[in-house]
Amino acid sequence: MKLLIVEDNLKLLEAITETLKSEKFLCETAIDFGTAHEKIFLYRYDVLIVDINLPDGSGLNLIRETKNQNPSTGIIVISARNSLDNKIEGLELGADDYLTKPFDMAELVARVKALLRRRNFLGTDIITFGDISVNTASRKVFATNQPIELTKSEYDILLFFFSNPNRVLTRESIAEHIWGDNMDLADSFDFIYSHIKNLRKKLTTAGVKDPIKAVYGVGYKLETD
Amino acid sequence: MVINLKLINKMKLIKRTYLHTLLWMIPILLIGILFSFLIIKYVAYEEIDEFLTYEMERLVKYHREHNDLPNFHNLVQVIENKKLEAPVFKDTLILEPADNEMVPYRQLWFSIDHNGRDFTLVLQHLMLGRDDIAQGALLITTGLALLIVLFALLSVNRVTGKIWTPFYNTLNKITRFKISEPVPEFESSTIDEFNTLNSTLNSLLNKVSTDYRHNKEFNENASHELQTHLAVIKANAGELLGRGFKNTEQLEQVRKIYSAATQLSQVQKSLLLLSKINNREFTDNIKLNIEDTLNSVLELFSETIDIREIKLMVQTVPCWAVMDKGLAEVLLNNLVKNAVKHNVQKGYINIKLEEDMLEIENSGELFTGKPESLLQRFSKGKNGNSGIGLAIVREICDLYHFNLHYEIYQTTHKITILFRQS
Repeated sequence: MKLLIVEDNLKLLEAITETLKSEKFLCETAIDFGTAHEKIFLYRYDVLIVDINLPDGSGLNLIRETKNQNPSTGIIVISARNSLDNKIEGLELGADDYLTKPFDMAELVARVKALLRRRNFLGTDIITFGDISVNTASRKVFATNQPIELTKSEYDILLFFFSNPNRVLTRESIAEHIWGDNMDLADSFDFIYSHIKNLRKKLTTAGVKDPIKAVYGVGYKLETD
Repeated sequence: MVINLKLINKMKLIKRTYLHTLLWMIPILLIGILFSFLIIKYVAYEEIDEFLTYEMERLVKYHREHNDLPNFHNLVQVIENKKLEAPVFKDTLILEPADNEMVPYRQLWFSIDHNGRDFTLVLQHLMLGRDDIAQGALLITTGLALLIVLFALLSVNRVTGKIWTPFYNTLNKITRFKISEPVPEFESSTIDEFNTLNSTLNSLLNKVSTDYRHNKEFNENASHELQTHLAVIKANAGELLGRGFKNTEQLEQVRKIYSAATQLSQVQKSLLLLSKINNREFTDNIKLNIEDTLNSVLELFSETIDIREIKLMVQTVPCWAVMDKGLAEVLLNNLVKNAVKHNVQKGYINIKLEEDMLEIENSGELFTGKPESLLQRFSKGKNGNSGIGLAIVREICDLYHFNLHYEIYQTTHKITILFRQS
């Protein structure tokens, strides 16, 4: 999978690139509009991650260009302006997803993977982890082929874990993943705790090993052996 | 709508002018009547006295020439052996048998010498009655006043419409002015006052418009710069957290950095939203059904409500309000979030949505302070949360002139919003 990341803040660009590289994605970067524009013309990318505010041009124009050059490229907009206008314009131009800064790296990884699944770049809708498998098309979860009934939030949390194996997911990032801006994060930890408790209970009741590990004071982690 | 408004205003201005013009006619009418009465009376006396004097002279002349009195119907009385030094005018009332009423007469008493004897003669002439004069004065003045009023009103109507046209144009433009749009151009007029009004308005609007733009730019810049650097802090702190620490103290320190960055970002987003509401940047108002928005928000919180084992009672009917869609979501989201967040395990939430009213009642912790204080920005809650949600609710209600009411009876919290725009 080849990704182009366009972000004018070098430190953030590095952080994003490091994270996505650790997920075995092939990452190329551009720190301004000019470089990004050239790269879009020269190469094909599976996913474009683009900041709207660039010093020498608008990321919206890069979206337009990409749609012209290679319509199959998936596009994720990252912007600090959570003004609705930018979001709508970005999505109207053909962007697939929109992330508001500051976002969690785990969230970005989950979005990239969800986008790749939607575009069918991964070839399958089923993610398997140990004895648990998730069908992302039908939103069904199976424990050793037995279906498990999960609530919407439990499903979202499980998929979030599956998208970020071996990465510590902070309580904040899980809360943001479920509620977005709709919940004050500090107040939501109790709810996160309950959701994960219920999720674990359902998994163990179905007879599979609970792969979610609590990381003291921070959050949770899906552990591969 | 705009044209109607213009008409109503025009009516008001002209009506006021009419009313004042009419009021000023009352003293003119009264003085006019009195004045005409006196003038008519004076003229009538003058005329009759003059007439009687001529008659007297004719009579004296006739007597000198013929030594006899002519057959004069004005001569009503001849008194023998009485002599007056000079002619005297007198007013008298004589009963008119036909009408059986007393009629005023003017008399001229004078003396002549006939064959060495003195005779006093009395000439008399019918006078205008006071009531006749008054009637005449009233008729003349009222007629004149009516004519003046008629023409005054006609001219006021024509002139006001014409003179005030620039004013109504200006009024029309500023009532349609929207802060996000360019400042309207006012036509120049031949009237100094209107030109001053227009230029003052113009500079005011320009100032408002510039402030609005600066505020908006500041918000956007502050948001962009802050959030980008916060993203860097979060990404790096998150990375460190993921690595894990042997030393719990170090872990705690990184965790604090991470959570402070997260909270800062949230506070900044909320403040930005407040600032945008204050700056009137949400102008995309549509007629929307609050019921739909409420249902989607409740859907979002349904699991959270279940986890807390909160008993939810919802009674809704379609409720239409004209507002920005995004703000409607923010409003209801904050209200429902508040009711869930500050609730207790196994508590309750009662939501009642009527045609123009939303009422959310929920159980909560015992609160003894003033309910209004909870609507303030950064009123600190028990667990140190920033408490900006209800401030946003209040700001949105203020923006749309919705009536917001917050009541607390011990552990019962009730928020009422009247959507009818006052």
